[in-house]
Amino acid sequence: MSISRRDVLLGATASAALLPVAARAQTSEVVIGVIYPLSGSSAQIGVDAQKAFETAADIINKNYDFKLPLAKGEGLPGLGGAKVKLVFADHQADPQKGRAETERLITQEKVCAVIGTYQSAVAVTVSQTCERYQIPFLSADNSSPSLHRRGLKFYFRASPHDEMFSKAMFDFFDAMRKKGTKIETLSLFHEDTIFGTDSANAQTKLASERGYKIVADIKYRANSPSLTAEVQQLKAANADVLMPSSYTTDAILLVKTMAELGYKPKNIMAQDAGFSEKALYDAVGDKLEGVISRGSFSLDLAEKRPMVGIINEMFKARSGKDFNDYTSRQFMGLILMADAINRAKSTDGEKIREALAATDMPGDVTIMPWKRVKYDDKGQNNDADPVLLQYIGGKFVTIAPQEVAVSEAVWPMPSK
Amino acid sequence: MTAETIIQSLASGLLMGLLYGLIAAGLALIFGLMDVVNFAHGEFLMIAMYATFFLFAFFAIDPLLSAPLVAAALFVFGAVVYLLIVRFAVRAKANAGMVQIFATFGLAIVMRGLAQYFFTPDYRSITHSWLGGKTLSLAGVFLPVPQLFGAMTAIAAFVVLYFFINRTDFGRALEATREDAGAVALVGIDKNRVFALGWGLGAALVGLAGAIMAIFFYVYPDVGASFALIAYVTVALGGFGSVFGAFAAGIIVGLVEATTALILPPSLKSVGIYAVYLLVVFIRPRGLFGSL
Repeated sequence: MSISRRDVLLGATASAALLPVAARAQTSEVVIGVIYPLSGSSAQIGVDAQKAFETAADIINKNYDFKLPLAKGEGLPGLGGAKVKLVFADHQADPQKGRAETERLITQEKVCAVIGTYQSAVAVTVSQTCERYQIPFLSADNSSPSLHRRGLKFYFRASPHDEMFSKAMFDFFDAMRKKGTKIETLSLFHEDTIFGTDSANAQTKLASERGYKIVADIKYRANSPSLTAEVQQLKAANADVLMPSSYTTDAILLVKTMAELGYKPKNIMAQDAGFSEKALYDAVGDKLEGVISRGSFSLDLAEKRPMVGIINEMFKARSGKDFNDYTSRQFMGLILMADAINRAKSTDGEKIREALAATDMPGDVTIMPWKRVKYDDKGQNNDADPVLLQYIGGKFVTIAPQEVAVSEAVWPMPSK
Repeated sequence: MTAETIIQSLASGLLMGLLYGLIAAGLALIFGLMDVVNFAHGEFLMIAMYATFFLFAFFAIDPLLSAPLVAAALFVFGAVVYLLIVRFAVRAKANAGMVQIFATFGLAIVMRGLAQYFFTPDYRSITHSWLGGKTLSLAGVFLPVPQLFGAMTAIAAFVVLYFFINRTDFGRALEATREDAGAVALVGIDKNRVFALGWGLGAALVGLAGAIMAIFFYVYPDVGASFALIAYVTVALGGFGSVFGAFAAGIIVGLVEATTALILPPSLKSVGIYAVYLLVVFIRPRGLFGSL
C-alpha cells in the first residue's frame, strides 16, 4: 500500500485533532506573579511570604492527602496537570516600584495572575496595573477597606478588612462592658500610609457610634528613628485601651520607648501587622504579656483540623517559623488563585476572573477559621470572620468570637 | 501641655541629638578631610550594630564591653574601604565627583545586600544587656539609661577628638592634608596613609555609635537608612567638613525634632528639621560652623 501525501496530511490533522488540548498543556506551566517587599525595610515580610507561597506551590504540584483544594494529585487537573510556577517580584514597600514590577511581571514574565502585597499602599498601584492589563489580582493579606471599594473588576480579597477587624474589637469591648469592665477611653496610634489611616478612620467611626472616647489620635511617620514624642502623648492621655496600627519596626520601637518613658498601657488592642510578627515578641515579648491583636488565623485550629498542624510543620521546615496571620493568608492566597485557574481551565485573564467570581469554597477545606470563601460583586469575601488573639505565656490563644474562643480574655493586661 | 511634658521633650531631644551628632561626626570628618561624601555611612552604622548583636548573641559579650572592639573593627574596616575602593575612585580622571558618589553608593547597596543574604532580613534585638530597658526617673522626667550612656559617650568622644585633632602630630597632619594634599607630600607626609587613618577614624566613630544604639534599637539590613539621612542633614547644617559643627548640629536636630512634635502632629516632626536646614541654607549656605 502506498501512502500518498494526502494521507499523511489527513493522518497528521486527525491525530492533532484527537490529541487532547490538555496533552499540550501538560508540559506547560501556569505562571503566577507574587509581589512582596523582598528588600528594604520590610524585607523580612517578603522573605517569609516567599516560603509560604513555596509551601503552597509544593502542595499543589505534588500529591498530598489533605482536605485542601488541589492537594491530591499533581498540578492542576483542569489544565492537564500543569504545574504552578511562581515568579517573585520585589516592590520594596514602594507603590511606584510595585507598579513597575507588576508591569514587568505581566508583560515580560507573562504571568496569568498576581498575588500580593503586604502593604496596602502598594496594593493600590499593583491592583490598578493588573486591572489595566485585565489580569486578576488577589490581595492575600492587605487589609485596607478602601481597596475593594474602588470598583475594580479584577480585584479579589478572601480575608477580612480593617472595618471588619475593628468591628470585632469593638464587639469585644461592648461584651466586656456588659460584664461590668470599665472601658471608656481609647488612644489610637497609627502609621501614616493607607493601612494606618484606614484603620484609624474605621476605629474613630466605631468609637463614636458605640460611645467610646478617643483621648489621643496619634499619626506617626513609619520607620521613625525615634518615637519619644509620640509615646509622651500616649502616656499623657493614658487611655483604657491603646490601639496601635503599626508595622514591625515601629511596633518594636513603640514598646521599647513606652518602657523607657515609664508608660505601661492598661491594655493593648492591636491591628495586627507588627503585632503578629515573631520579631516583636523576640525583642520585647516580656513587656507584651496580655496584648490582644486581631487576626484571621490561629494555630489553635490545628486541634480541630489536623492538616493545619501538618502544613504548619511543612512551612516551619522552610522558614523556621510557625504560620502567623500573614504567612497563613499568603499560603491560602495561592491555593485560592490556583483553584480558580484550575476551574477556569485556562490562563486567560477574563476566564480566571470569572472563575474567581464564581468561587464558593467551604471554610473547612481551608487552613483558616473562615465560614467560606465567596466574593461579593466588589471582590470582597464577607464570610471570613476575624478572630481576636491574646498573647499569654509566650503564645497566642483565641479569645473571641465566642464560637472559636479557646479561653477567656485576661483583662486588664497583667502588670509587671 | 504641662511643664513636665516640655522638659521631657527637651531632655529626650537632647539625648537623641547627642547621638545624632556622634553618628554624623565620622561623616563630617571624612568629608572635611578629602571632600568625599560617604554614602555608605548608614551601612557602616548597620554593620557596627550587627557586630554588637552577634558578639552578644554568640559570645554573650555585653554591648558596653564590645563597644571598643566594634569601634576598633570598624576602624580597620574604614581604612580597608579607603585603600581598596575610595583610593581608586578619587583618582578618576573624568567626572571624579560622580565616580566617588557611585563608588560609595554602590558599596552601600552591596553591604545591604550581603547583610540581607547572610544575616536574613529578620529584625534582631539585644534582649538582656546591662543597660537595656533601664530608665532613670528624675522628678517625673524619664531618662533611658542606654541613651544617657550614648549621650555621655558622644560628649567624651568629642572631647577626645578635639584634643586629638588640635594637639597631636597626626591631628595636625590631618588638618594639613585637608588644607593642601599636594603640599603635605612635599614635607614627607604620606597622603594615602593620612586618608586611610581618617577613614578608619570616621568609621570607628560611627562604630561606637552603632554599638550603643544596638542596646536600644532593633537591627536589620536597612537600619542605617533613616539615621544616615539625619546624618547628612546634620553635617550640612553644621557646616561641611566641621566635626564640631556636626556635634552642635546634632544637638540642634535632636532638640528641633522634639519641639516640633510638641507643636505639630508627630507625623510632621521631621518638617522642623528640614525647615531649620533650609533656613540655614538660605542664610548661611556653608552651614553654621562651615569653614569652606
